[in-house]
Amino acid sequence: MSTLVLDNGACFAKIGYSHEKVSVIPNCQFRSKTSRLKTFTANQLDEIKDPSGLFFILPFQKGYLVNWDVQRKVWDHLFGKDMFKVDFADTNIVITEPYFNFSSIQDTMNEILFEEYQFQSALRINAGSLSAHRYFHENNSELCCIVVDSGFSFTHIVPYCRGRKMKEGICRINVGGKLLSNHLKEIISYRQLHVMDETYVINQVKEDVCYVSQNFYKDMEIAQLKGEDNTVMRDYVLPDFSSIKKGFCKPREEMNFTGKYKTGEQILRLTNERFAVPEMLFHPSDIGIQEMGIPEALVNSINNMPEEMQPHFYKNIVLTGGNTLFPGFRDRVYKEVRALAPVEYQVSVVLPQNPICYPWEGGKLLAENPDFEEMVVTREDYEENGHYVCEEKFDI
Amino acid sequence: MAEKKIAVRSQDPNQRRVLDSATRQRRLTRQLDALEKDNFQDDPHASLPQLVKRLPQFDESNESGKRRKKTRGDHFKQRFRKNFQTLLEEEDLSVSEGPNYLTACAEPSKFPQRHFCAVCGFPSNYTCVSCGARYCCVRCLGTHHETRCLKWTV
Repeated sequence: MSTLVLDNGACFAKIGYSHEKVSVIPNCQFRSKTSRLKTFTANQLDEIKDPSGLFFILPFQKGYLVNWDVQRKVWDHLFGKDMFKVDFADTNIVITEPYFNFSSIQDTMNEILFEEYQFQSALRINAGSLSAHRYFHENNSELCCIVVDSGFSFTHIVPYCRGRKMKEGICRINVGGKLLSNHLKEIISYRQLHVMDETYVINQVKEDVCYVSQNFYKDMEIAQLKGEDNTVMRDYVLPDFSSIKKGFCKPREEMNFTGKYKTGEQILRLTNERFAVPEMLFHPSDIGIQEMGIPEALVNSINNMPEEMQPHFYKNIVLTGGNTLFPGFRDRVYKEVRALAPVEYQVSVVLPQNPICYPWEGGKLLAENPDFEEMVVTREDYEENGHYVCEEKFDI
Repeated sequence: MAEKKIAVRSQDPNQRRVLDSATRQRRLTRQLDALEKDNFQDDPHASLPQLVKRLPQFDESNESGKRRKKTRGDHFKQRFRKNFQTLLEEEDLSVSEGPNYLTACAEPSKFPQRHFCAVCGFPSNYTCVSCGARYCCVRCLGTHHETRCLKWTV
């Protein structure tokens, strides 16, 4: 009786058996201009020789699973004989869902898991709950923690107390990795080179070159300087998929500040885009989204909680999700929350070693938990009672 | 150089129209919605005839054919082709009590909005008279007028 843990994210699916390691696989289908007949699924991305102008087909829209056709195709591939070779009758599945998931989507997922794939039993849970479980497992003495899950579609700030999420404190900021990449595409397309079609390449640029600045206006001033004094500026070499397979950032020694480059490579010169793009997580109002940024929303969310719990929340802030991997993210969040929090409370922000797989590791621990059997809904249970038993048992 | 400056200014009272705040708001909303898109190009497979598409699917359906009966597939396609907006409306959240998807959205920030030049990205102090875009210096204003101002108005 093995357990498959699947953190079903909008960009990546983190999947693995609870006794094995996790694999991070894109959760979508791709179509390429060059290989016209084939649609690539999930990790078949590596087979594409020319990822320029890659067309993405994502099952998620605004963070919620709407396109079941595509999702089932991806799951078929993942559960099939090429990947995990799942024996459905003998497997439990732990699968994650976004917060406040719509009841129609929840019902559909029940149907697909139990009637189409026929898993032995299933547990639907929020990704943040798995992160909280993992955090409490490591820090046994703590009672409350607040999880910041900054992913592809949006960012959620969720307080947890004794393992249960507090619904009144959940805050959602509609800024995620997708927005940051699209914004970066727009500004590069306007200022330098038309890259609106190149989602895959610009995503790579964002991950390699962007960072969170600790002092925004000072960095802005430095970025306006000319020549060698401008320590912020970087040149990024774009891939052409024949000689240069993957784009990279030119090291400072090789940079040519005055003239043009002699070689035939395509170069992007990035100055303030490097830190202005991740700044949107902290100030969504920079591009016109009238919402609070992460530190402000954190403090707001904690202030909605009962007074006795507030110091405990400030002491246990956990950052998860892909966007937290920007260099300087953790320090910036700490600095801003420290400035906004009351002076007598202690503030501590934790960034795990691997923020993307942190919920998956929580799922792995949960599967090994002795109480696991009582939390899942078995197939017989579902067939007798229908959706009602899932609504009761799962705390979505 | 002096000629260029005069040319821009003389257009202002006679030919340049000024957008009102409702139109500016609509433009902003349209820009923000465009940021939510997955792809900015068209599907490469869209123009291929149906017949060609059948061929490669033959290989894929061979593996999972036994599980997926034809009627089931069609049933799923009918039910599950709804988009996000439809699902949200179906939930009918205005009548439910307690926290839900809509109430969980973050409130507007208490801090004032910062403005950046639409052309170069550095902090801006000035606004374009016609369309409301921000700019930082006269050179950026020139670029803005030449390229983006009042193009693609809603």
